Amino acid sequence: MQGSTRRVGIMTDIHRRFLQLLMTHGVLEEWEVQRLQNHCFKVHDRNAAVEKLEDFINNINSILESLYIEIKKGITEDDGRPIYALVNLATTSVSKMATDFAENELDLFRKALELIIDSETGFASSTNILNLVDQLKGKKMRKKEAEHVLQKFVQSKWLIEKEGEFTLHGRAILEMEQFIRETYPDAVKMCNICHSLLIRGQSCETCGIRMHLPCVAKYFQSNSEPRCPHCNDYWPHEIPEVFDPEKEREAGVSKSTRKSLRSRQH
Amino acid sequence: MLQKPRNGACASAQAHSSRDLGPVGDTGVLNVSSGPSSSKDTLNSSSQGSHSSQTATYPGLRTQKQLELKVAELVQFLLIKDQKKMPIKRTGILKHVIRDYKDIFPDLLKLAVERLEYVFGYKLVELEPKRNTYILVNALEPLEEDASVRGDQGTPTTGLLMIILGLIFMNGNGIAESEVWDFLQRLGVYPTRKHFIFGDPKKLITEDFVRQRYLEYQRIPHTDPAEYQFQWGPRTNLETSKMKVLKFVAKVHNQDPTDWPAQYCEALVDEENRASPELSGPILSS
Repeated sequence: MQGSTRRVGIMTDIHRRFLQLLMTHGVLEEWEVQRLQNHCFKVHDRNAAVEKLEDFINNINSILESLYIEIKKGITEDDGRPIYALVNLATTSVSKMATDFAENELDLFRKALELIIDSETGFASSTNILNLVDQLKGKKMRKKEAEHVLQKFVQSKWLIEKEGEFTLHGRAILEMEQFIRETYPDAVKMCNICHSLLIRGQSCETCGIRMHLPCVAKYFQSNSEPRCPHCNDYWPHEIPEVFDPEKEREAGVSKSTRKSLRSRQH
Repeated sequence: MLQKPRNGACASAQAHSSRDLGPVGDTGVLNVSSGPSSSKDTLNSSSQGSHSSQTATYPGLRTQKQLELKVAELVQFLLIKDQKKMPIKRTGILKHVIRDYKDIFPDLLKLAVERLEYVFGYKLVELEPKRNTYILVNALEPLEEDASVRGDQGTPTTGLLMIILGLIFMNGNGIAESEVWDFLQRLGVYPTRKHFIFGDPKKLITEDFVRQRYLEYQRIPHTDPAEYQFQWGPRTNLETSKMKVLKFVAKVHNQDPTDWPAQYCEALVDEENRASPELSGPILSS
């Protein structure tokens, strides 16, 4: 049985406060998680050395295992920044997001999800999503209302919007990867490098294999002649930079500026 | 009621109302199926194991794993319900989570309570004796510094609630609604005007806070037109105390709690009663 050989850690108030506050977020970037950990140590035991984040989280996860949840780490598809979310391990169905969304809203999300997965670019246009409002389960929803609901999804970090098109937020991928792979086995795309679910990325124009942007960045790092790992053809796309948290801090670039600098790639 | 398994997977519990379970906290932890009419009914359980509707009819044949999963579901349910600050009904727990595990409900609840406390630092407390409704009370002390690392701005309405709790206590544990509005209007909060933070303050105070059991809102008898008064609700006594509220009021006025001798004495008595509940008399009507 899972976890039977793994040594289970111990919860202290530091861990509990960390979990409580973590649960107030939908998803966190690594620096935010680090800040949260520092805060909890400071509050409960100023003198204790702050444990290495990875060990701290593994410790908590060993205890969460019996509750079938875990603090999961992933990276964003656009620029490879590490993110964390508390996810459910027990079931693989679409997140109900039930406390925040009604039945028809959840169905709208499901429809958007399907369009995103089926698309070539990983984006679904607002128009195409809104055209499906008549097919939604539950209370009838008008297009105007649906627009508002889509914005709710963006605000709560389930979807990302770029120029009128929607794709999955890193949070949604972290939460739903298993469900998506099991529910849409024929439509899902996978990354040739990390073998995880791929919603957005670059693809080889010759053989069609796909890679996440951060996976491309890592794989072709300091390679002046990038070639497809599968068919060896010249890789035709711009190679992004590997995410460097230090560089980002130094640059002091505001979040909003960074967002506008990111460009969409096929 | 036995559910027919679909596609060999187990529909049992999951095929019920599609709104059973949802995110843990705000994190959107996954759960539950997408409802019986979904064409993709490959949902529910992962490959690791499943809720078998068949074994559920033979209690005692449940596996360790099934029991663990049930406790996990229960923990998540309680966390989610409490996130909305709505009291949790025992009937709700039985209907939405326990279902055909009813025979071992007390044991499941006991395990869930233990996990909630050990892992998350929340205590499951009965809101009012014999009413079979519960709330979660934080075993950890909420700190001001937490605000900077929270994801949900706590509840911006907490400040407003504290003010009202203060008004009630300082006025002798009850205050007429009209007096509350007289005070709030000085802060720019009106019953009839939309507020940029609180939205509909009248609804918030007379409905939401009451439903969440922070306040009691009762008609003052023999008043015409009807006048209402506020008192502390049962949740308030569990989540905070007279002393804490007095300290808040003192802070707001930049004074010391002892500057209000009557209220200070009352708060001290309350502190003593909390420390040794067996010594206190019948529940004080505060």
